[in-house]
Amino acid sequence: MIGFVVFSLRRAWQGFWRNALMSLAATATMVLMLLLLAGFWILQTGLQASLDYTESKVEVVADLKDNVKQSEVDPILARLHAMPQVKSVEYITKDAALVQWREHLKEQGEDDLTRYLDVNPLHASLNVKLVNASVFAEVVSALRNEEPVVEKVKEQQHLADQVVTVTNVLRTAGTVILVVIAFIVLFIIVNTIRLAVVARAEEIEIMRLVGASDAFIRWPFVFEGAMVGLLGAALTLGFLWIAADPIGHFMVGFFQVLPLSFGALAQELVILIGGAGLGLGIVGAWVSVRTYLIR
Amino acid sequence: MTVSPSQAAPARSIRSRIIGRGRDHAATERAVLVLHDVTKTYPNGKTALEEVDLVIPEGDFVFLVGPSGAGKSTLIKLLIRDEIATHGAVVLDGQDLAKLPRRNVPKVRRKIGIVFQDFKLLPQKSVWENVAFALEVTGTPRKKIRPAVDRVLALVGLTAQRHQVPNQLSGGEQQRTAIARALVHDPRLIIADEPTGNLDPLISWEIIQLLLRINDLGVTVLMATHNADVVTALRKRVVALEEGRVIRDEVGGIYHRVD
Repeated sequence: MIGFVVFSLRRAWQGFWRNALMSLAATATMVLMLLLLAGFWILQTGLQASLDYTESKVEVVADLKDNVKQSEVDPILARLHAMPQVKSVEYITKDAALVQWREHLKEQGEDDLTRYLDVNPLHASLNVKLVNASVFAEVVSALRNEEPVVEKVKEQQHLADQVVTVTNVLRTAGTVILVVIAFIVLFIIVNTIRLAVVARAEEIEIMRLVGASDAFIRWPFVFEGAMVGLLGAALTLGFLWIAADPIGHFMVGFFQVLPLSFGALAQELVILIGGAGLGLGIVGAWVSVRTYLIR
Repeated sequence: MTVSPSQAAPARSIRSRIIGRGRDHAATERAVLVLHDVTKTYPNGKTALEEVDLVIPEGDFVFLVGPSGAGKSTLIKLLIRDEIATHGAVVLDGQDLAKLPRRNVPKVRRKIGIVFQDFKLLPQKSVWENVAFALEVTGTPRKKIRPAVDRVLALVGLTAQRHQVPNQLSGGEQQRTAIARALVHDPRLIIADEPTGNLDPLISWEIIQLLLRINDLGVTVLMATHNADVVTALRKRVVALEEGRVIRDEVGGIYHRVD
C-alpha cells in the first residue's frame, strides 16, 4: 500500500515535469479560472455587504406627543431594545431636534427662521434602526401600540418595500452569476486537464497492455491533477495577496462599505480557492482517465 | 495438405483441450490458447470473425496470415480482451475471457506479451526504463525489477544500449526493446502484430531469429505477418484468415495457398 502511494506520487511528479509544457498550460488555465472565480466571489461579497448596509439605513421614525416625560419614554425604549428586529434606537428630544434642524439649515445656507418663534415646533422622536428592511411593518405596528406617547409613525412602508425588492433581486442575481461562473470554471479546468491526459493516451494504452490495474493507471494522474490544482491555487492566492491592498481600496470606494474587512474575506478566499483548485484538479483527472479505463 | 490443428499438438483431441470448465487439467495446461466457435460482430453490424476454431499448444510457433481486413487485428483484440467475442469461447491459459471479471483482466494480460509494428515505446524513457515500466505499473517490488530487466535486456542483446532513449536507436533495436518489455513478465504467450512491418528485410530476419530463440526457451509465439518470405522459409505452423474465417491451418505451411 505504501509502495503504491510512493509509486503513484513519484509517477505524478515525473509525469508533471516530463510533460512540463502541458502541465504548465493546465496550471496557467487553472490560475486564470481561479482568479475569475475569486474576482466574482469578492464582488459578490462586496455586493452583499453593501446591500446589508443599504438595508440598515431603513429606519422607522415615530414622532412623540408634546410634553412627554422622560419617565414615559424609558419603558418604550426598553421594550424596543428587547425586540429582535430592532438594531438600535435613538431618542431625540425636542431640544435636540431643534438643534439638528438649525444645523441642517445652516449647512444648506438657508436663513434660520426658527429664531422668530417663541416655542419649539418640532416633535421629539424615536429613530429605530432595523436589523433588516423586511421587518419594517412589525416595528411600525409595535410603535403604533404605544399610543399614549406616540403621536404618529411616519409612513415609509412603500420605500421600505422597494428597498427589500431591489436588494433581493440583486442578492439573487449575484448568487446566480457566481454559480454560473463556477460552472464555467469547472468545465474549462476539467477540459484542460483532459487535454493533458489525452496527450498521454499512448502511455495509458501501454499500461493497459502490459497489465497494469486500473488503480495503477488512475492514481498517478489523480495525484498529478491534485498537483496542478494546488500549484494553481497557490499562485492564484499569491496574486491575490499582492493585489490585496488595491482590492481593499476598491471595495471601500466602489461599495461605500467600511465595515467590510478583507482579513475575514481572505480566510474564506483561501478555503474557496484552495478547495476549488484541489477539487477540480482531482475531479478533472479522475473523469479524464475514466474514459480510457472503461472498456 | 491441410491438417487438423490437433496434429500440431501431440496426443489429445481438440475437444478435450477446449476447456477450462472441464476437469481435464493436463489437457488445459497443454493449450495456452483455445478459440472455440468464435464469432465477433461489431456494434455496427460488421462481422469480423466467424466460427473460428483454433488451438495453440504450449511452446508452439504460429504464423497468422491473411489480407488486410481478414480479421487478424480483431483476433488479437479478443486475445488481450480488448474486445469480447459475440459468440463462442476464447480460453487463455484455462480462463474463459468472456467470463473474466473486469478487475481480473490486468492479471490475464500479464500472461501475454504483446509486440506491435510501431513499437509503442515511451519516447522520454530510456531502454531500461521502458522495460522496467511494465513491471513498475503492475506493482512489482523494486528489488525484483532490476534483475528481471537486466536479464531480458541481455536476452535481446541490448545491455549496452540500456541508457539510450528510443530515438537514439535503430528500428531493430527499438523492436528488440519492445520484445524485452513483452518478455519481462515471463508471459505464457507472445503476440507479435506485424513486428517486422516497419523494418527492412535484414533487420526483419534479426527480429524473427530473436522470436525463434524466445520460442526455443519455451514461450509460445503467435505472429501476425504479411512477410511471405519469412513464413515460407521457416515452414512453421500457418493459420490463414480470410473474411473472418480460418481457411487454412497447416504445419510446415507457406504464405500462399497452394491449390
